Amino acid sequence: MKFTQKSKEHLDACRFCWMCRHICPIGNATGQERNTSRARALGLSLVARGAVEYSEDVVNNVYECALCGACVKECVTGWDPVTFTKEARLGAALDGKLPPYVLKMVNAALETGNIYGEKLGNELAGKIRTLKKSETLFFLGADARYKTPKNAVGAIDLLAKLGADFTALENEPDSGYGMDFLVSATSETKKIAETCAETLNGYKKVICYDPADAKVFRREYKEWNVGIKAEVLTFTEYLAIMIKDRKVKKSDLVFTPQDSAILARDLEETEPIRDILGKIGGVSEMLLNRRDTMLAGNLIMNEYMPEVMERVALDRWTNAKNVGAKILVTESPAEYALLAKTKPADLSVVTLEEAISQCL
Amino acid sequence: MNDFLFDVIATELEDAVGRENCSTRTIDKITHSVDYFWLSRMWADRGLRMPEGDFIVAPKDAKETSAVLKIANYYKLPVTTWGGGGGTQGGAIPVCGGIVLDTKRMNAIYDFNEPGMYIECGTGTIYKHLEWAANERGYATMHYPSSLTCSTVGGFLAHRGIGVSSTKYGKIDDMVLQMEVVLPNGDIIETSPAPKHAAGPDLNQIFIGSEGTLGVITKAQMRIYDQPEARRFRGFLFHNMTDAFNAGRELLQKFKPSVMRLYDEAETASLIKKIVGVEKKGAFMNVAIEGVSEMVDLEEKILLETFGKYGAEDLGSEYGEKWWKEKITFFYPGHMMDIPQCFGTMDTIAPYGKIEKIYWEMKKAIETNFPQAKFIAHFSHWYEWGCMIYDRFIVDGKDVPKDPHEAFRLHQAIWNCGVRTALANGGVVNDHHGVGIKLGRLMKEQYGPAMQVFEGIKKQLDPNGIMNPYKLGL
Repeated sequence: MKFTQKSKEHLDACRFCWMCRHICPIGNATGQERNTSRARALGLSLVARGAVEYSEDVVNNVYECALCGACVKECVTGWDPVTFTKEARLGAALDGKLPPYVLKMVNAALETGNIYGEKLGNELAGKIRTLKKSETLFFLGADARYKTPKNAVGAIDLLAKLGADFTALENEPDSGYGMDFLVSATSETKKIAETCAETLNGYKKVICYDPADAKVFRREYKEWNVGIKAEVLTFTEYLAIMIKDRKVKKSDLVFTPQDSAILARDLEETEPIRDILGKIGGVSEMLLNRRDTMLAGNLIMNEYMPEVMERVALDRWTNAKNVGAKILVTESPAEYALLAKTKPADLSVVTLEEAISQCL
Repeated sequence: MNDFLFDVIATELEDAVGRENCSTRTIDKITHSVDYFWLSRMWADRGLRMPEGDFIVAPKDAKETSAVLKIANYYKLPVTTWGGGGGTQGGAIPVCGGIVLDTKRMNAIYDFNEPGMYIECGTGTIYKHLEWAANERGYATMHYPSSLTCSTVGGFLAHRGIGVSSTKYGKIDDMVLQMEVVLPNGDIIETSPAPKHAAGPDLNQIFIGSEGTLGVITKAQMRIYDQPEARRFRGFLFHNMTDAFNAGRELLQKFKPSVMRLYDEAETASLIKKIVGVEKKGAFMNVAIEGVSEMVDLEEKILLETFGKYGAEDLGSEYGEKWWKEKITFFYPGHMMDIPQCFGTMDTIAPYGKIEKIYWEMKKAIETNFPQAKFIAHFSHWYEWGCMIYDRFIVDGKDVPKDPHEAFRLHQAIWNCGVRTALANGGVVNDHHGVGIKLGRLMKEQYGPAMQVFEGIKKQLDPNGIMNPYKLGL
C-alpha cells in the first residue's frame, strides 16, 4: 500500500492525536478504540512504515468510517482523516484487497448500475412515468430509489404540488457516490461519473434529492475533471426557494433539524432547512447542530454493519431527547431510514417534504 | 502461552463480556499499544511495534469487569486498563501483554441528579460527552483540560487530572462524590456515599491517582455546576515572574478566579505570541473570573487593584478571551510539539516559597546538562498556598538520535535530571499527568520509606500483581 505524500503527512499528524475522538459517530456508537481517526491513522502509518501488513484486519477498519467529516471539521489545524481513509480504500481496490462485502457492492454497481444491485420498485417507476419532459431533472439517487422509494414518491408529489416544472428518470444513471464511498476515484468510478454527466448535461438544472449526490456532482466531479454544465441544486435549497414567497399555514409544531453532515460540512448549507421550518412552524435545535451535526445513519454502511448503524441513529435520538425535541426533520434518505427504524415511541421523524406537505 | 491455553482463556473472556467485546485483532492490539507517551510515539514512528495486549476486552459494567478480573487472577494475566489512551506517562501501555481492559463500553449515564448536582456515569464516558449531557440541561462540568475530548471520566480519576478552571472548581478529586470500584479479586465495592466524612480515611482518595494498579473504577458521581452568569477575562503582562507570583498569591488570599495562567518569558514569546497574539516582552498572565455578575464585578475590581500594585500591565479582555477560545488549539498537531522533536512536560507543584526556585533550578539543570534542549513553562493551577509549574523541554528533531534506543536514553536522562531537580528543591514527581511507567522509578526517590504504604495496599489488594504492572513504581 503506497500513500501519497499528502496522505502521509495527514497520517503522521493524526496518528498521535485524540482531539476529535468525541465527535466520531461510529466511535461513539461502538466505543471501540479502533474507530477513531487516530487509531486508523496509527494503523495506516505503521502500514506505510512496513511495520504492519495491509491485512484484511486493517482494511476492514478502513471501512468502519462513514466519511462524515466530523473529525475534519473538528480539527483546528486542518488535518483530514477523510483524505487518507479514502486513499486507503482506493489502495485496497488497486491491490485487490477489497473485503467481500465491499466487492459485492462494487460488482453490483458495475453490473446493475447501483451498488445495491436492486431494481426500481413499481410504485416509484409508475410515479416517474407520470412526469412530463422538462429542462429540470429531479435526481433521486440510489438510496432513495432502492432503499426509501416511498420518500422519493413523496418528494415528487411535493414538487408537483408546488407547481415545479421537473422530470425524473426511470433509468437514472448512477452518480458514482456509492463507488466514491467504497473505492474512491478508481477508473471505474470516474467512468460512471462521466456516463452520468452525459445525462445531466441534457438538462439546465439538476435538483438532487440526496445530499450525497449533490456533493459528488459539485465537488468530486470537479476533482475528476468531469464537467457538468447543468446548475446543481440541493433539494433543500430548491424547496426554500419554492416556498419563500408562498403562503403556507404556520403550524404549532416545533421541528428540530437533523442537519445532513454532507450539506452542513461538505456543501456548507445549513440555513435553508431552518428558513423552511421557521416558515411552517417553530424550530428547536439540538446541542450539536449545523456544522457540528452528528451523523444519524449511512445506508451503504448499513449493508455491512447494520447493528452499528442502528446504534448511530439511537445516539442521535438520545441527543434529541436530551433537549426535549419532539419532531426530527431529515434531509437525507439514509438518515431518515435509520432514524425511522430506531424511533422511540414518544418522538417522531419526518422528511423535509413531509413537514412541508402538512402545511400546504 | 501455547495456542491451546490461549483459546481456553479467549473463550472464557468471550463468555464474560460477549464475543464481539473480546478482540485479538491486530488493529485492536496496535491501537491499544501506543498512547500519548513520547516513548511509545517515538517507537511507532521508528516503525517498531510497542508491547501489545493479547486480549482486548471491553466489559460493559462492574459485573463484567469483575468476571474479567477473576479470570485474569486465575491465569495470572496482567491487566492494563485503557480509557481514552490520551495519557502522557505510558500508564495505559500493556508493557507485559495480557489483557487490555478498555472501559469505553461503560459509558452509560445512570442518573442526572439535579438536586445533588451530579451525574452518575460509567467511567468509560468521554468527558466531553459528560459535558454535553450537562450542557443539554443547562449545566456544566467545569472540568476543561486540553484532553477533554480525548479522555474518559475514569482516565481523569485514575491519574488525578485537572482542568483549566481548577482554581475555582478544583481538581478531579474535588469533583467526584461516590465511586464504584472493582477490586483485583473481582469484588465490587462502593466508596462512601459522601466524600466529606469522618468515617475513616477517604476511600476515594486511595483509588484516585492509583492508575489502574489497585482495581478498576467502573462508575462515578461527577459534580455539575450552574453555568456562570458572567465569565470575564483579563490579560496582564508582568515585568518578571517574581512579581507575578506575589500578585497571584495575594489575589488568592482574597478570592478564587477560575482560570489563572502565568507564562514565562520564553513561552510568552513563542506559544502565546503565535496563538493569542501578544507581541510584547514579559510574562503573560491570563485570569478569568466567573459566577454571579455582581460578584464578578467586585472581583474584577479587586483583581485590577491587586495586580496594579505589582506593576502588571492590564492588556484588557481581548487576549484572555482569545486564549479561552483557543485554549485547546495549543494541543493540536501543528501547534503542539510533535515527533521528530523529543519533548516532555515535567509538571510539579510546591508552596509559593519554593515554586520560583524550582522553576529556575529546573531551567538551569536542563539547559546546562542538555544544551540541545529548550525549556519553556507556564504556571496554570493556583492555590492559596502554592502553584504548579507546567514546564516543558523540547529537543529539535535534528538533535534527537535516529536510533530508537539512543533516543530512549536521551529522553530518560532529561527526565531524570528534571524531576530529580524538582524533588531536590521541594517539588513532587508530578502534578497532574500521573506517573505511569515514565516516572515509576522516581516514586521511591520522592517517598522514601513512605512508599511502603502504597506497596502494602498494593500487596493486600493485588497479591498476584496483575494490575497494571510496573506502573506507579508498584
